[in-house]
Amino acid sequence: MAVEYDPALINRVFETTDPVEVTADEIRSFCAAIGEANPLYTDPDAAKKGPNGGIVAPPSFAVTFRNGRHFFENVPRFGTRGFDAGKDIEFAAPIRPGDKITLSSHVKEIYEKTGRTGTMVFVVIRSTLNNQHGEVVAHIDHRFMNRT
Amino acid sequence: MIASITEVKVGDQLGPLELFVSKDQCRGYARACGIEAPRFTDDEGALREGLPGMILPGNMSLGLITRLITDWIGSGPARLARIGSTYRVPVQPDHTLTIHGFVTHLHPDSRTAEIDVWMENEDGDRLVTGAATVEFKV
Repeated sequence: MAVEYDPALINRVFETTDPVEVTADEIRSFCAAIGEANPLYTDPDAAKKGPNGGIVAPPSFAVTFRNGRHFFENVPRFGTRGFDAGKDIEFAAPIRPGDKITLSSHVKEIYEKTGRTGTMVFVVIRSTLNNQHGEVVAHIDHRFMNRT
Repeated sequence: MIASITEVKVGDQLGPLELFVSKDQCRGYARACGIEAPRFTDDEGALREGLPGMILPGNMSLGLITRLITDWIGSGPARLARIGSTYRVPVQPDHTLTIHGFVTHLHPDSRTAEIDVWMENEDGDRLVTGAATVEFKV
């Protein structure tokens, strides 16, 4: 049986966060936490001579922005509590210290999959990150899995 | 450093990158990202949630597998354009994790390389899998 949900959920932006300013300290702490030593992310002098003309955040820093207050209450539930099954990220522009990042989120798709362990329903929430110049920085698809 | 996509071949290996991820490093990631869920900071909190012990945030695993690719790119004329990840099994700290990758496809027209990447534990179980696209300027 196909999973049932209100089709009006799909593609409706349910939340846009206030801008969050990125600091050089946050990028440094993030690099330390994942053991990142690439000079493009850690060494201001080397980064200046690199392709971005200065320090940028490592790509996976994009997932550190907190989702909005209404994010999780807008993830439809099917059966058990959903858990984070993975992320797909498209990177459009680097994140720099001083950038002010805004997240807009909508339900992208809902689908069902049957595997060895039973039926699962996946809910994909797409968050688009924009910087203060109105540029898209990244699209993040958060994949939540529920067991029916 | 890879100077051009012409230097890349299907089957080229990335890494492996072997890492011992301690509980303190896991807590450090949670702190750096403002994550407060106890399953990422202490064993008792994780046990209360029915987990075998503290686990890494999924996003931390994503950060570690992404490192394999950005290490491979180095300061070369390329950028990570996309990465998809699947968190298959909870990843526990205080273990040695090995991250592997290899080039699966090349698209000379768009100057892109497709890469499969995965994280294994000491038993060779694939805990996190992913696929990435790297875009070269030349």
